[in-house]
Amino acid sequence: MNIFWREMKSHRKSLTFWSIGVFLMVVSGMGKYEAYSSQGQSINVLIADIPKSLKAVMGFSDVDVSKVSGYYSILFVYILLMATIHAAMLGANIIAKEERDKTVEFLFTKPLLRSTIITAKLLAAFVNIVVFNLITLISLITFLGKYNRDGEAINGHIALTMVGMFILQILFMVVGSAIASVKRNPKSVASLATGILLFSYLLSIAIDLNENLAFLKYITPFKYFEAEMVMYDGGLNIVYVLISVVVIAVLAFVTYVFFNKRDLDV
Amino acid sequence: MNIFMHELRAYRKSTIIWTISLIMIVLLFMSFYSSFAKDAAEFTKIMEGYPEAIRNLLGVNLGNLFTILGFYSFLLTFITLCGAIQAMNLGTSIVSKEVREKTADFLLTKPVTRTAVMTAKLLAAFISLVITNIFYLAAASIIIFQVKTGDFSFKLFIMLSLTMFFVQLLFLAVGIFISVILSKIKSVLTVSLATVFAFYFLGMFSTTGEEAKRYLSPFKYFDTAYILENSGYEATFLVAGAVIIILSIAASYYVYVKKDIHSV
Repeated sequence: MNIFWREMKSHRKSLTFWSIGVFLMVVSGMGKYEAYSSQGQSINVLIADIPKSLKAVMGFSDVDVSKVSGYYSILFVYILLMATIHAAMLGANIIAKEERDKTVEFLFTKPLLRSTIITAKLLAAFVNIVVFNLITLISLITFLGKYNRDGEAINGHIALTMVGMFILQILFMVVGSAIASVKRNPKSVASLATGILLFSYLLSIAIDLNENLAFLKYITPFKYFEAEMVMYDGGLNIVYVLISVVVIAVLAFVTYVFFNKRDLDV
Repeated sequence: MNIFMHELRAYRKSTIIWTISLIMIVLLFMSFYSSFAKDAAEFTKIMEGYPEAIRNLLGVNLGNLFTILGFYSFLLTFITLCGAIQAMNLGTSIVSKEVREKTADFLLTKPVTRTAVMTAKLLAAFISLVITNIFYLAAASIIIFQVKTGDFSFKLFIMLSLTMFFVQLLFLAVGIFISVILSKIKSVLTVSLATVFAFYFLGMFSTTGEEAKRYLSPFKYFDTAYILENSGYEATFLVAGAVIIILSIAASYYVYVKKDIHSV
């Protein structure tokens, strides 16, 4: 329990900054909505005819951006990107930092199992992610409510997309922690984790561009819970939820197994 | 000169990895161009059926957008984002790593001034970025000539590609400045990713119309649509960029020369 509180304390500052960051992003993102909402309906009819790849390049989407919910579905991608970067770096650093900061022999000579230490650390990371997610949810509900003049029922939609985001946050957290357990050099762990993340983000854009790549949508988590799909097309897709749960379980298992056998670099 | 060579060698692997990644991204996206061109041609046909008024509504830029350079400017936003992360990482780490890895007293007890140390490191970072850009440009040119469906202006292509280099220089300067101001950076990646993405999102939400807001994000200094139309950069933003670079580098020298550096 000491380790858990110690980790909570050492991540307090970074969590504060990240929370402020996501809050500012919601504020500035919604500020931009003013411009979109005044554009009105006329353009939507036209947009429907444009091929999907052209839309991706022009930055249009199938949704009606003059509605709050439609605009939110675009904003969501960037919030998701931010949340997963936070999660991946958190998962990677919380494990790797002991070796990086040369505190590894201090911690691992304590009369505790390695599994206990990892559990405490992952728990602390988990709580950080929950806090980040809740702050995002609250900022979104507050600010989307403020701009929601047509009285659309969006709070349920927001909550549902945040559940999707939460699953992906956990997914990228264990991606980070698994890399940190497997990889020898603690310095490059966070880079590799964010590299994988950016690659999957770019892949999700590539899939929008080319329909032939559609089969790859199972590989990149950014395609699992797209806001458009979650909000207008029957909620979280059970197939993707299952894939995520399996991947999370496997990577958590990898984290424990490899860390228990790890040759710690003192 | 020794410090310079040492830094170049230390960053050789990371420069190679970044260069290859950038080339892979261009390759990946450019391979979609032929299917994109087909879609675009079909859409242009549909467009001709619309009345003039609606065509104007969609904007005059569409003509530019559907060419290979328009497509390239779309993917350039992602390339620039990655390039900015590389430069920011480089800038944040190259000076601060001595303190972090407890080699500062080894380096700074050598009979060279801190100014000389800083210059050598700056130069090494600069050369790493130049090398990245040369290889990137060469590879991107080969790729674009392979996938092109019609003629395009090679000069404009180079001009577009160079915007990445300018953005990189900006982030390199800002990175070095941040690294000398903070007393100790534990994790370079946290600082650099947070800064780059903060500016990226800032640029994202301040696009159309608001000229003043564009100064806030380096990603918005080089408007690809403007370059395509006028085949030139916007002078005010070039000046703004240069001023930021010069100021941060000068401030970095000033701070670093006097900085209290903890030995082991």
